[in-house]
Amino acid sequence: MSEVSITVQDVTIRYKSVKSYSIKRNLLRLKPVESKNFEAVKNVSFTVNKGEILGVIGKNGSGKSTLLRALANIFSADEGNIDLHGNSISLLAIGVGFKNQLTGRENIMLSGMLLGFREKEVLSHMDEIIEFSELGEFIDQPVRTYSSGMYSKLAFSVTAILETDIMLIDEVLSVGDEHFKKKSYAKMKELITNNDRTVVIVSHSLDTLEKLCNRVLWLNDGEIKEIGPSKEIIKKYREFMK
Amino acid sequence: MKRFASDVKKYWNYMLYEAKSQLKAEVANSYLNWIWWILEPLLLMMVYAFVFGFLFKHKEENYNVFIFIALALWDNFNRCIKASVTIVKRNKSIVSKVYLPKYALIISNMMVNTFKMFICLLIVFGMLIVNRISIDWHILEIVPIIANALLFTFGCCCILAHMGVFIEDMSNVINIVLRFMFYLTGIFYNIGTSIPKPYSTILLSCNPIALFIDSLRNCMLEKMSPNWILMLIWFVIGLGVSAYGVYTIYRYENTYVKVI
Repeated sequence: MSEVSITVQDVTIRYKSVKSYSIKRNLLRLKPVESKNFEAVKNVSFTVNKGEILGVIGKNGSGKSTLLRALANIFSADEGNIDLHGNSISLLAIGVGFKNQLTGRENIMLSGMLLGFREKEVLSHMDEIIEFSELGEFIDQPVRTYSSGMYSKLAFSVTAILETDIMLIDEVLSVGDEHFKKKSYAKMKELITNNDRTVVIVSHSLDTLEKLCNRVLWLNDGEIKEIGPSKEIIKKYREFMK
Repeated sequence: MKRFASDVKKYWNYMLYEAKSQLKAEVANSYLNWIWWILEPLLLMMVYAFVFGFLFKHKEENYNVFIFIALALWDNFNRCIKASVTIVKRNKSIVSKVYLPKYALIISNMMVNTFKMFICLLIVFGMLIVNRISIDWHILEIVPIIANALLFTFGCCCILAHMGVFIEDMSNVINIVLRFMFYLTGIFYNIGTSIPKPYSTILLSCNPIALFIDSLRNCMLEKMSPNWILMLIWFVIGLGVSAYGVYTIYRYENTYVKVI
């Protein structure tokens, strides 16, 4: 359990000068564009051990999702370091790269490969995904003919069956009708509580976090307010938010 | 460089699959859609042949094949460039959720267009046969010419994809540049014979697409080898542009999400 799987060191992420530029606008205006500096995440450092479940809380706009996306390598930190110690990582995102014209089966393939899996790996999980999604023969129909519930079932199944060492979750997902909701929640829980898997969850549902997480990280305006055992922190957070 | 090789290897299957599914999606709506891959260049060729061959009395042997070769290559270049300017923004849903090297999007888009180009080239071969134009081993030289053209296109696409993220109205500018290039590339006329001497040489050595098209025509219609020295120079330039493009993308791709 003591093996470290994520190390985050003094990470700062800015949204600034990277404002898009328009030739027309710059020809018409003589004043240079003022670049605003906005630090979404400031000097954040923490480590997550292997198998640990870390919850991230904080009010809207406190940098939770930004931090998660930086962990997933979708964008880089402006300062500081993020070390994943060679683990594979995925942001649990629903329906990445889905194309409406293609069949469910082809979309599984496309989405799986986009998540960094090999063709063979996706193929070997194909039946499992199809079974979990409960789509039956609709799997060979184009996705555009699906109802929105079917669509999210399929999307959820792809991400839930294809597993990585570290999972990043932005809001706990449960989709579909009552029956599938329960099933997906149970699957989610199974994935999260697997001892080998490191999980970082961002959520506003404090009850869920209290049940699932070992530790909780509280972000406030991009800075770490507190990090520690979930019960303790969540209690303080509840008081703070009143 | 190493990273590029390993990333390409890692994402190769994805790019191929993505390209295939893009093509499939185009055909999915109606089974006649793929006919447009053939009809569009064919009809455009007829328009040019009518306007320039008939109305302007342009004298060139086998004028329809002459135009068609150029259109095949030009359309590929044109489509790739236009698509690459907005490619990151169009794939926002992917880019903002998973990491993938952004040139993977470019490559799979190029695969789609190159596939269409090969269909056009097949038609060219058909036209060669119908028009009874004899060919010899020079026809094999189109392979390095096309490879060279693709390399150069890839490099340009990478750089434009990068600029397109940060500059909003890039596509307006590119449209004008492409149109200008179109007329300077000699799609419907022969640069060598239609433009007075020093300018035609300058144009053929400085506009790579014109050079590639002219070389293709020479190989297929005149049984002549391309100018290998110029080819080599443009190969080196293409390599340089591509390396610079890939380097720029690697360096800045993580900030793209923040902008779009």
